[in-house]
Amino acid sequence: MTPDSFPRPEEQQSETLHEEAVPVNSVDPADERAEVDPSLFEEESGEPPFARAVRTTPLHLETAAESRTNLWTAWNGYTVPQIFTDLGDEYRALRGAAALMDLSPLVKYRISGRDALAYLERLCAVPVGSLEVDRLRHVIFCEGSGMVLGDGLLFRLAADDYRLVTEETHLAWLIDSAEGFRVRVEDVSATLAVLALQGPLSAFLLAELGCDDIETLDPFAARWISIGGMPVYASRSGATGDLGYELWCDAEDAPHVWRTLLGKGATFGLRPAGFALRELARLEAGHPRAGVDYLSAFAAIDPADALPPAAIWPGFTIAPSKGLFNGGSALRAMHGTEPARRLVRLAVGGLEPARFASVSLNGEPAGLATTTGFSPALGANIALAVLANGAVGAAGLSVLAERREGLSVVETRLPAQVLLGPAFSHRRRLAVPAGLRP
Amino acid sequence: MSRSGNTFDAIVIGAGHNGLVAAARLTRAGRRVLVLEARDAAGGASATSEIVPGYAAPAIAHLVDAFPKRIERALKLARHGLRYAARDIPSVALDPDGGHVLLPRNRREFSRFAKRLPRDAEAYRDYADELHTQAALIAPLLGDMPPDLREPEALRKFFRRLIWRGEISGGSALQNLMRRLPESIGDRLDADFESPLLKGAIAFDATLGGAEGPYAPGTSFRAVWREALRTQGQGLRQIAGGPGALIQVLIEIVSAGGGELRLNAAVARVFIENGVAAGIELLDGTLLRAPLVLSAINPRVTLLELAGAQCVETHQALELSRAPRPGTTAKLNLALERAPLFTGLAAELHGARLLIAPSLQEVDEAAAACNEGRLTSAPVLELHMPSVADPALAPEGHHILSVIVHSAPHEVEGGWPMQREGFVQKVVRRIASFAPGIEEAMIAGEILTPPDIELKYGLAGGDWHQGDLRLDRLLAFRPAPGFGRYETPLAGLYLCGAGSHPGGGVTGLPGWIAAGAAIDKMEAGR
Ligand SMILES: Cc1cc2nc3c(=O)[nH]c(=O)nc-3n(C[C@H](O)[C@H](O)[C@H](O)COP(=O)(O)OP(=O)(O)OC[C@H]3O[C@@H](n4cnc5c(N)ncnc54)[C@H](O)[C@@H]3O)c2cc1C
Repeated sequence: MTPDSFPRPEEQQSETLHEEAVPVNSVDPADERAEVDPSLFEEESGEPPFARAVRTTPLHLETAAESRTNLWTAWNGYTVPQIFTDLGDEYRALRGAAALMDLSPLVKYRISGRDALAYLERLCAVPVGSLEVDRLRHVIFCEGSGMVLGDGLLFRLAADDYRLVTEETHLAWLIDSAEGFRVRVEDVSATLAVLALQGPLSAFLLAELGCDDIETLDPFAARWISIGGMPVYASRSGATGDLGYELWCDAEDAPHVWRTLLGKGATFGLRPAGFALRELARLEAGHPRAGVDYLSAFAAIDPADALPPAAIWPGFTIAPSKGLFNGGSALRAMHGTEPARRLVRLAVGGLEPARFASVSLNGEPAGLATTTGFSPALGANIALAVLANGAVGAAGLSVLAERREGLSVVETRLPAQVLLGPAFSHRRRLAVPAGLRP
Repeated sequence: MSRSGNTFDAIVIGAGHNGLVAAARLTRAGRRVLVLEARDAAGGASATSEIVPGYAAPAIAHLVDAFPKRIERALKLARHGLRYAARDIPSVALDPDGGHVLLPRNRREFSRFAKRLPRDAEAYRDYADELHTQAALIAPLLGDMPPDLREPEALRKFFRRLIWRGEISGGSALQNLMRRLPESIGDRLDADFESPLLKGAIAFDATLGGAEGPYAPGTSFRAVWREALRTQGQGLRQIAGGPGALIQVLIEIVSAGGGELRLNAAVARVFIENGVAAGIELLDGTLLRAPLVLSAINPRVTLLELAGAQCVETHQALELSRAPRPGTTAKLNLALERAPLFTGLAAELHGARLLIAPSLQEVDEAAAACNEGRLTSAPVLELHMPSVADPALAPEGHHILSVIVHSAPHEVEGGWPMQREGFVQKVVRRIASFAPGIEEAMIAGEILTPPDIELKYGLAGGDWHQGDLRLDRLLAFRPAPGFGRYETPLAGLYLCGAGSHPGGGVTGLPGWIAAGAAIDKMEAGR
């Protein structure tokens, strides 16, 4: 032992103290009166880290009261109604009058601070600098490889205050990206409820509820209104291909807003609609959904499943004003090369709903349908599908469809065709002023 | 372009030797260069400082072994006054019992070595042979810009050349190299050698300047890397007048070429205009313009603090900010009133590089202690007495002992203010066990802990390499993937310090290659 390592007096002391303490706590197995430490058998508190919580939205009691089918589904960990009454009825309400949907499970981030704009400009692959207060736009964000991580709606609430709404969670990436910026990123999903009021009568219904001048609200603009005395931030947005509004309000206020809207609207044909209709409507409107129609680059275990923005949104180009942004250098290097696969809209023959997944070109595998459904608007099966680039313009696409007849399954090959536009898109969606009558 | 007082062709941040080499190359290419240095003296870790008046010591780095002849020639360093006080300096592993071992440089020395360590002679020869072969394989990679990872053709060429070199140096050379990649030097030495002294010395060399101990994976390859870096240079040398003399020569070349050096000019940020680097702003707010900015300081500081996070993509910022462990080397400079007497050391070896790392175990323990923030009672050291070959550094008969302390924690239990004294004691006591009576000969000393090195000489974290030489941080991955070619995502901003390929040491290579890359790029852009 070197002189340095002799224990100092106080250390020695504490050691003896410790030794005395040992017998008190320990169990002597020879002693029959020895007690077993009761804490060993106490029930474990807390949840295992892999447990998934089942969450309900702020509107759960309202939607539960309206449900006639007891059909529920999971969305982002929340329980939401799949169908309230009947998908056909809900669809007719949406296209003929208006539908009310609970979109609260959407992921909502508040991004604020002096560098919020610089931060978002680097985060997003589209220009955001020109976004004015009380406006919103669709944004896409990529990983360093240029592959899409997610997309969403970006609202500018105030000069240095933004809201990003996405389908999937991205908090880790948003926080990682905040390094070096004076910016605050918060997940406000739990405190912010979202109601979608969509359909030809949606502006009319808001006007009926006393929202004056609602028709003057531009597409992709937002303003504060009051519904049933509750402050609601209304944006003219939605993914149904029709006129519509999304209503953002405090979680506590949401049930009252919901009741007020249904109370007033029911006589005009407003119906609550579930997740199944949301999916059908966005499929008709041709909007891809993250995690379903494309995978976030981080989730794509097979790198071929990750797609660059132009493969998902054909109109995507890098704006000339865009400086450095995440994925930018990779995307610029890719410039001019066609993506290997593309997301397209398909129309499939056959007059009744069919189930299908794989898409072939002249019998050879050419891709996969990621969302399918029967579009009443088009009177055909439609799908979003990821196809090999070469198959996109080709003739001779088909899908192998399954149809149930009684207890048997019939497989038929149905011709498929790439649609150039969405299956449903109404002029009303972008009309200014918004129509107050269908 | 206007040549007003605040506009230059290029600005170099940091007047360490790499910054000055870059500036000298730019000047030679006809560029009007401004070099900005935060401290009141140039040199960074290559400096000569007075311990007390009359006693000049190599402040931090003390010997050079990888400074290439081609840089020396191209910049005409000798004509501007660069002199060496000693060349081909031997390395000696000091033995507590006086049976010191000279690491052989030639056949004659080898036969003496074989007599001293008969059982290890064969193994050492094999080790040295393999080291040379492998070093020769990778050496060409060190003097040049790493291949562009995004260009498949460049990569293909790179690997083809590597394989070809492997083929001509005997079929198994490349295979052996692959085997060495993940190996630890400790395991390797335990398998092949017996002498603790020899094992200690080899392990010391393989791990010096890094935080990992000798049993860490990858340390075996570090020995190869170091050897390969040495092949760039001209053997272990001592600069007359200390490393500061090299700096003086470089400054002279820069100013002779119309360049300018400003001291006490700390750069606060890179000035960006229209999305490209357009100059810098000093701490005092002065704006200086240049279309080309080269930074010889730490890459993370350069990009995330000076340029700002909006200049790099998230994945790059993450790579850069995954801060490597801070420096783990300390320096002790002693002024002695007489030559120390190392028991059993031949007089002609007093100017040698002396290693106090008597066993692998001690090297390992020192690293373990360092990782836990403790001071080991048996520090492992590299000693050099520059005044033997360069008597002008101290009054007649007096000496300078320059000591590198390997594995000194950046943060120590109890804090450095509390531990400094004890630390010096430990180091001196350790030296005294090889050179009894040295305490009595000490008339002054200077201790530089890793935080001191950071504070006084401007090395971020006090790090030898501006970011550890880990396997995943070499070549095109140095300082981080995507930054291997000195360019940054901000057009006009280049990295040119030890944080870039091929890394730390007084080599001039990062500065030289980076300046070349910047000049090529500008010329291509015309
Ligand atoms: C203890 C120790 C011993 C070593 N021994 C040896 C050895 O014997 N042989 C060897 O070859 N290598 C040795 N090294 C390594 C070698 O010293 C370094 O790798 C090398 O000096 C790095 O040179 P550089 O020019 O890249 O950076 P530096 O020498 O670190 O120069 C950077 C310069 O930039 C300045 N600066 C920092 N921030 C700013 C700012 N914001 N604005 C303006 N200027 C700024 C600093 O003040 C400094 O002068 C040793 C390192 C250590 C820590």
